[in-house]
Amino acid sequence: MIFINVDEKKISCEEGRTLLDVCLENGIYIPNLCHVKGMQTPPASCRMCMVAIDGEKKPAMACTTRVRENMTVMTDTPEIRHLQRTALRLLLSVHDIDCKNCSANKHCELQNLSRFLKVGLKAAPYATLLKETAIDRTHPCLDYYPNRCLLCGKCIHVCRQKNGQSVFTFARRGFKTVISTFGFDNPDVFCGECLACVEICPVGALVVRKDAVNSNQKEEDT
Amino acid sequence: MDQNDNIDETKMLRDIEGRLGVFGRERGSLIPILQMIQEKYQYLPKGALEIVGRHLEIPSAEVFGVATFYNQFRFHPPGRHPIKVCLGTACHVRGGDIILENFERKLEIKEGETTPDQEFSIEKVACIGCCALAPVALVGETVHGGMAPSKVEGLVLRIEVEKEMRQRAGKKEQDG
Amino acid sequence: MRVKNPKAVFQEIHDAAAGRRASVEKQAVPTVHLGMATCGIAAGALETKKAFEEAILERGIAAVVHPVGCNGHCYAEPVVVIDHPDSGFSPILYPNVSPGKAKMLVKLFLEEGDPRFEHILGATVENEMIPWVMEFSRFSKETRIVTRLCGQIDPESIDEYILKDGYASLARALEMEPADIRQEIKASGLRGRGGAGFPTGEKWELAAQADGGDKILICNADEGDPGAYMDRTILESNPHQVIEGMAICARAVGAEKGIVYVRAEYPLAVDIVGKAICQARETGLLGDCILGSALHFDIEVFQGSGAFVCGEETALIQSIEGARGMPVYRPPFPVESGLYGLPTVINNVKTLTTVPPIIEKGAEWFRGIGTPGSPGTTVFSVVGEVVHPGLVEISMGVTLRTLIFDICGGIPNQKKFKAVQIGGPSGGCLPEEFLDTPIDFDSLNEAGAMMGSGGMVVMDEDSCVVDVSRYFLDFTQNESCGKCTFCRIGTRHLLDILSRITKGEGSREDLSCLKDLSRAVSEGSLCGLGRTAPNPVMTSLKYFEDEYLAHVDHKKCPGTTCRDLTAFYIDLETCARGCDVCVGCCPVDAIFTTRTRKKGIDQQLCVKCGECKVVCPPEYDAVRRISPAEGVPVVERLDKE
Repeated sequence: MIFINVDEKKISCEEGRTLLDVCLENGIYIPNLCHVKGMQTPPASCRMCMVAIDGEKKPAMACTTRVRENMTVMTDTPEIRHLQRTALRLLLSVHDIDCKNCSANKHCELQNLSRFLKVGLKAAPYATLLKETAIDRTHPCLDYYPNRCLLCGKCIHVCRQKNGQSVFTFARRGFKTVISTFGFDNPDVFCGECLACVEICPVGALVVRKDAVNSNQKEEDT
Repeated sequence: MDQNDNIDETKMLRDIEGRLGVFGRERGSLIPILQMIQEKYQYLPKGALEIVGRHLEIPSAEVFGVATFYNQFRFHPPGRHPIKVCLGTACHVRGGDIILENFERKLEIKEGETTPDQEFSIEKVACIGCCALAPVALVGETVHGGMAPSKVEGLVLRIEVEKEMRQRAGKKEQDG
Repeated sequence: MRVKNPKAVFQEIHDAAAGRRASVEKQAVPTVHLGMATCGIAAGALETKKAFEEAILERGIAAVVHPVGCNGHCYAEPVVVIDHPDSGFSPILYPNVSPGKAKMLVKLFLEEGDPRFEHILGATVENEMIPWVMEFSRFSKETRIVTRLCGQIDPESIDEYILKDGYASLARALEMEPADIRQEIKASGLRGRGGAGFPTGEKWELAAQADGGDKILICNADEGDPGAYMDRTILESNPHQVIEGMAICARAVGAEKGIVYVRAEYPLAVDIVGKAICQARETGLLGDCILGSALHFDIEVFQGSGAFVCGEETALIQSIEGARGMPVYRPPFPVESGLYGLPTVINNVKTLTTVPPIIEKGAEWFRGIGTPGSPGTTVFSVVGEVVHPGLVEISMGVTLRTLIFDICGGIPNQKKFKAVQIGGPSGGCLPEEFLDTPIDFDSLNEAGAMMGSGGMVVMDEDSCVVDVSRYFLDFTQNESCGKCTFCRIGTRHLLDILSRITKGEGSREDLSCLKDLSRAVSEGSLCGLGRTAPNPVMTSLKYFEDEYLAHVDHKKCPGTTCRDLTAFYIDLETCARGCDVCVGCCPVDAIFTTRTRKKGIDQQLCVKCGECKVVCPPEYDAVRRISPAEGVPVVERLDKE
């Protein structure tokens, strides 16, 4: 057991764990989008879980920082909040903000974050840049909304965990990156029954298609 | 026409499948395999990604994810005369984008596209390393340095004339 | 198995090579050394080679054409050195040798002994008759360690490298203890030439200490900067020095497997390195029991598929493993756990190429070159508005002024210097005040630029720093892997804002947004690509804010480069009646004849390609380009009645 100091609170924890896990368990919320508890190698891609650590010049990511004895951490400095708000606005600038018609309305991580960081659900000053494809319907029973997706990769992670291989992948590169189920060809995965990806999606990017539940099972029957 | 394409594609995929034998089944073979296919056919047919996935025992989605990440891989066959306009730093400051625009205007296609007759395609590339000759364009494998808008027209015209001459010569041979 | 003395084995190899060479060079016949690297071929070296060979055959002369690599003098390609001992002249360097010139030189010089002084750049050895190239600062102010043999030997012949004492350092290293090799490299102060400047000896030490199975050595030749090509040149011109450096490193850290990671876009380099590895293997310089010692080390080539981000160590490893080249959070660093979880040393081509000379001449010698903090040399590819662009190897600490004005000949056409962009897409843009900055890792960092990949763009008064920043942002945002929020979306917004500014649609708010977002992207991004991507914007905003303001406030591009803010017109005072040159060259038929039978430009049709300005005969020089575009004079058409 070691002790660390977060926002002037003394916390005891096991050495070697990630700062993010420890803080979340101790009721100190640090914004995060791509982190799944117990992940071996966190992707550290959403860049939300920034904290200020005493003695370090630059903000650190809590998900990739291991706790050390006597480390002093601030989660709520003006600089950290500013960077988090910038990250949120960037995500909102590529997000189709149409909460009324979104399946994740009221349990959406972006809504939660905007409340927590006390900013509106607006991208300004950044312009809104949406992808051309509104819905990708190539998967037999799931609809994918590229303009809702945060590219956190949790769906890929959870699918691989549950099914050994993931039916999802990141495809393309850079600003054009999307989640894809190209050539969905895994007969061992019964998406209609699992739906772990839909459950874990922090927004409403993956939605069960109404007319097509269990369709890949149906295909096998015929 | 469609049927022919199908036959060609089946043949192509069978050929590709035959070539996979020399590659190991470990994940590290993925990029060398994709490079082999692209070298042979100038692009990656959709069906090939599925074959490669089966060979390496990974979902074809993963193959697709990797292939779409890298600049090298194309998913449509290029034209018979692929035009590559260099947009490296030196070419940029000497007006490489103007050369690109002139090719686009002349051939009436955009960068990344192929003309309907499959003769030409235009791509931009980042630095082919002959900066002293900037701006530079490649037609096939030939480098053309010191490009100017007026040279674009000449280059395209030359290829078209050469093609016509070849066709005529071919016809003569047939006739004679 | 009996372990033999590496030096003795090397001597045998050396003697055998000497024997083979001697039989080739039995009589002293004239030799035409021709630069045949990618840049030379692009400039027409293949045609030149053919012309030489045909002319030599036709005239029945005893002479040989000897292909060599690139000597870095890009402005002079195709470069030829003719060594004609019987003529009484020293070897002579000819620039820009076209096939016609080649035929002429065969007839007049090789056959008749007249070297044609008007075509000479200089002699490669000091002599009485022809100026020695070392009298020119383009040659004399360079210090060549990495590129010492580039352009002098045939890259496809291991014998030529061995006869220049190549692989002697490896033989020496094999008699040293691995710890002593690491100590020597540490003492030399060599820093990684990939851009960041991490001490090489330290990296090797970490790798040597790491446990966890077989160790792997990767030579990083994934050169992605769109204006730098020195790694390619080295691989194409002297691959064996890279292989020798790798073998020495393998001995020092205990690696058995090496990989050269080279871009597939460099087909010639891939080919030449592959051949060189085979030759080294056949000669016993790679494989089992190298030079009779206990060292087992072999190298394979992996072709990178074109992703700038794969120059980053962790992304590079991902791509070899067959995954998307997305950087992974470090630690663990690759030296602890890299390719397939094995300890992996990743060194740049130039770093490894520097190793053999250090082992040969010692750390002390190396420290004597360059500055205390950055010993040794660095290779820059200088492009843009300079008289003699190309690859230049200088000792660290040489100032930017010396490099740009002395070595590269300054700015052509009597234009004024405006800025220099150093380090490519992750580098910065420096104004005139910084010309006396010494070029080394720390001084450049301090100035806000960085060594980076070694790309250098020189800009004159007619270049636009906003446009160049936009260019680099366009590149990085295209090459962003898309993994993390700041880089994926942030660079895109930076690019969009810059594009707006270059179109005259920017506002003052955009400028403050640029500053704020640049900082956020550089602080928040996961890997080096994102963290350094805003550098071109941040430095140009810092040193050239007035140019940004001119774009924003006055819709004016001071360098008359941004097309939306400039317009072309024809000065009726100097335009000549009856001259139609510009009409013929205009790709969009925008040029018309005026009432006075002079020419005018239809601003609606004009695409601002500038071709008319290029072709207008110098005695008229009538085409003007102005900014802002609104200032363009109205000219009436003749045919519109």
